[in-house]
Amino acid sequence: MIRAILIVASMLLLAACGDRSWHGKDISHLMPRLEFELLSEHGQPVTEEIFAGRPLAIYFGFTHCPDICPMTLAKLAAAARRLPEDQRERLQLAFVSVDPDRDGPERLAEYTAAFSDRMLGLTGTQRQLQALTRRYRVTYGYEPPDEDGNYEVSHSSAIWVFNADLGAELMLFDDLSIEQMRNDLERLLADR
Amino acid sequence: MKWARGILALLVLAAGALWWVAGFDDGPALRFEDARARLVPGDGPMAGYLVVANHSGGLVRLVGARSEAFERVMIHRTEVVDGRARMQHQAGGVAISPGGRVEFRPGDLHLMLIGRKSELQIGDPVEVELEFEGLEPATWPVTFTVVPVTAQ
Repeated sequence: MIRAILIVASMLLLAACGDRSWHGKDISHLMPRLEFELLSEHGQPVTEEIFAGRPLAIYFGFTHCPDICPMTLAKLAAAARRLPEDQRERLQLAFVSVDPDRDGPERLAEYTAAFSDRMLGLTGTQRQLQALTRRYRVTYGYEPPDEDGNYEVSHSSAIWVFNADLGAELMLFDDLSIEQMRNDLERLLADR
Repeated sequence: MKWARGILALLVLAAGALWWVAGFDDGPALRFEDARARLVPGDGPMAGYLVVANHSGGLVRLVGARSEAFERVMIHRTEVVDGRARMQHQAGGVAISPGGRVEFRPGDLHLMLIGRKSELQIGDPVEVELEFEGLEPATWPVTFTVVPVTAQ
């Protein structure tokens, strides 16, 4: 009986070692290379080429989001800060606002600076945002405004990670811990 | 050995009395821990988090909140369904069972603090009045501390 348990346990252990599983989701064969035309927090039109040559983590949200956006961005920024120095300096962070009516360049710049000096804020016209979000199956939508004109934006709550060639690699979900995010980022940055 | 039995009986009585007295809870009916508000840059809404522990002996329900520092305070819950996050207004309030505790935490239940009336800094106190059903008094003041946007 004990021998049987040991055999099963060692098989499980071998299987676990063989499976290079991520805390996030591997999207390397599921999603296309990064491509976009957007407006940066500096007020400049930019394309994906500004990120070429170094890995990138992107989060989609809006600045009037008091809970899940700051929570996820804070985790991402903390995970990035815990990376080994050479990796930390290579990884770029981006926040794409899907609420361009309220999130102009100045507001985006103030917002991203609060999380990391390595985070760039981006937004765009609805056409530009839809082109990018459809490419990665990111969904967003606007809830009806209240009597004061405030409205909520529902949005995909994951982080998309790209390699230095801007190929899609990973999705990191908001419920991962800082350490889990750091593990995935470190492994990805070490591999490539 | 009679005296020993007497002492033993006294000890048992004393322990019983202590246990009985300890059962009394002289503290407040509600206790609040770790009340904090995340300072989101700009003038957008902020989220308030805390733990509410119910020592009242009965079911209570948090039904509303207000603050002099904000235009409006709402009770919200972030819900992620199929990877998509949205906030749900908790119109019916939040029930806390007798002896139970409810944690308002990032990515879950939170107070949505809307319309800052003045600029806030990290470390500032923010007074919030929480309104409950199921106990008297109904209104309980709680001091939240403003924490950085990067606070977990």
